[in-house]
Amino acid sequence: MLIGAVAPLVVGIILKVLFTPEKVGISISGALIYFTIPMPLQNLPITESQVNSALVIVTILFLCLYFTHGLTVKAELKRQLVAEWIVKQTQSLVKTNMSDYFSGFAPFVASIMALSAFSSLLSLFGMYPPTSDINIVGGWAILVFILITYYKMKCGPLHYAKSFGDPVPFLAPLNVISEVATPISMAFRHYGNVLSGAVISVLVATGLQGLTNIIFGWLPGFLGNIPFLQIGLPAILSVYFDLFSGCLQAFIFAMLTMLYVASGFPEEDYLARRAKKLARLKK
Amino acid sequence: MQSLDIISVNLWQILISLANLTILFLLLKKFLYKPVTKMLEARRAEIDSQYSDAQNAKQSAEAKDAELTERLVGAKAEAESIINEAADIAKARGDKIVEDARATADGIRRQAEEDARLERKRMNETIKEEIVEVSTALAEKMLEREVNADDHKALIDDFIDKIGEN
Repeated sequence: MLIGAVAPLVVGIILKVLFTPEKVGISISGALIYFTIPMPLQNLPITESQVNSALVIVTILFLCLYFTHGLTVKAELKRQLVAEWIVKQTQSLVKTNMSDYFSGFAPFVASIMALSAFSSLLSLFGMYPPTSDINIVGGWAILVFILITYYKMKCGPLHYAKSFGDPVPFLAPLNVISEVATPISMAFRHYGNVLSGAVISVLVATGLQGLTNIIFGWLPGFLGNIPFLQIGLPAILSVYFDLFSGCLQAFIFAMLTMLYVASGFPEEDYLARRAKKLARLKK
Repeated sequence: MQSLDIISVNLWQILISLANLTILFLLLKKFLYKPVTKMLEARRAEIDSQYSDAQNAKQSAEAKDAELTERLVGAKAEAESIINEAADIAKARGDKIVEDARATADGIRRQAEEDARLERKRMNETIKEEIVEVSTALAEKMLEREVNADDHKALIDDFIDKIGEN
């Protein structure tokens, strides 16, 4: 099962190696397009980010199967502890950040964290991180927006419409804007962080290469072509942008999801309404 | 091979990504959360049952302990009463034995005294008879012949000797 988890990564790396065009100089571009499917409204290009996120999903699926394989009450296998830890941590996170009503949210939060973190960490293997594609993160943000709106609508559309004129009715346009801004800001925060990390890494690496050429260019033969100054600094930047920033953005995205959904849900009104409905049904 | 622009919005890609997150959510729910939650519930049930088992065992042990203590106290009291009874019986029996022994000894002593008295009486009678006999014999002899001083003396000596012999 571990093989099943590693195989997608290998496939992704092979695809990357096979299809990456030779680059001349600095090139900062989006994902590679493997092929395009004609669709109504807009053609659908199947890109690196699509393929890589699918590979990430397969990897996570196999990891889950591996960790939950042979679960026993007495926890005889060490990997069972990992599965238990993940479940308990996400459940307690959801419980502290949301209310008990949202206890079913734990798998969703875990899937956001896993998908986002694994996608960002793909850049460690030299693959294109899907999180630096606005479409991928935008899709997640829109799903979160749908959830927020769904929970706000729980008390009926009228209650939802009223919530826009909350402090004073004439601020309603601003409220609408802030409502729409939520998914956009979430998507751009995540996407921008990952993409800017990649851009900075490329810029620094290229700049260091140029600097090496200027300083050590006089060395004879192949020695002059070795970019000595590229040793060190890019590695540190990679640790920050790929490892730290990737995990941090995943955590932030999950936290924001929980907070927005929980704060948008008028729990007291909803519970009061439901109690009233139940009372009416009993009559 | 072409690549996308760095910012390019595509509706279908957004939809696919949305679907991907939903699919991953369902996968995690089915393959991670469901089995782990099930296992945790089974563990909780097992721990609960073990706790209740331990509680029951403790209660029964306490009950048994109380019962045994009670029994032990009863047994001690019984043993004491048995010992006391036995001591009483033994004392009574001993007293009786001593009494009997004393009675027997008294009887034996009385018998012995009686015997001694009878013996003395008989001896006295025997001595009296002897004396009578001797004095009869002496009188015969004195009547038989004449008595002079010497004879007299010899006679008396003879008489005394005879008494001594007897």
